Amino acid sequence: MSYWRSDDRGMATLETTLMLVILVPLLFAILEFGWLTQRWLAQDGVALQAARYAGELGGDRPELRSYIQEQLLLVGIEPGRVIVEVEPSNIAWREPVRVSLRTDELVAIPFLFTTTVAVRSTAVARGEVNQ
Amino acid sequence: MTHDDGGTAALTTIVMLPLLLVVLVGVLELGALRAVAQRAGAAADLATIVAVGDQDQFELAQSGKLRLAADAADVARDYFARNLLATTPALGASANAIAAAADIASFPTAPSFDPLTGARYDRPTLRLIASIPVRTPGFAALLMPAVTTVTIQSVSSPR
Repeated sequence: MSYWRSDDRGMATLETTLMLVILVPLLFAILEFGWLTQRWLAQDGVALQAARYAGELGGDRPELRSYIQEQLLLVGIEPGRVIVEVEPSNIAWREPVRVSLRTDELVAIPFLFTTTVAVRSTAVARGEVNQ
Repeated sequence: MTHDDGGTAALTTIVMLPLLLVVLVGVLELGALRAVAQRAGAAADLATIVAVGDQDQFELAQSGKLRLAADAADVARDYFARNLLATTPALGASANAIAAAADIASFPTAPSFDPLTGARYDRPTLRLIASIPVRTPGFAALLMPAVTTVTIQSVSSPR
């Protein structure tokens, strides 16, 4: 009887170890990638609005930078971590303007890996100012 | 008895593990599909907004009324393709091909009636409907289609 009891304890330990090694990374992967997707979609929304605003302003202006910072804060992204590019910096009426945002996000999955993923968002709008 | 329990646990694991993996892959793929569809919808919204932002200047000067520019549909198609480019790796066709196949209708004056959707527009309107083929390798692994087509619609009017 004591022989079997000892075996059971071993099985339980093995099962728990397997569960931890498989389920914990799985759980963290779901959480991390869900969070990453949420950040991507939120950043995308900011890029789209920023592109429209860049079109209204006629390119890269301090007001646009302030607006992007405010919008990023509203969606819970630290503006200091986001690289903003506006191309070209000056646009004429009906010319395209591209706003790109890039954030390096850390993804950490226990027992598997830790890496940095570049989250990129780009939107293109059209100049609405006749300069 | 203890030996039997172990067998049952092993059997349960053997049956449940593939089921768990199938559900997991399906849920992840569905989530990715929703994210790409949302991004494509946003690209369509921006394209139609950009297109209706430009007015027929002559009409505006003459009558003060808003009238969409003659090239509004072409502009929407162009900007739809430009904004889809960022999503290209997840798409089953090129951004230009998707935009070229999109059904874009311009209703430059109001009121107007959309014969496709049955909608009535009380302002000048641009309507875009596009089929977006999205790569779904997770579904393919579950013996489902490798490309899933999502239909998006966007309607914009000037203010």
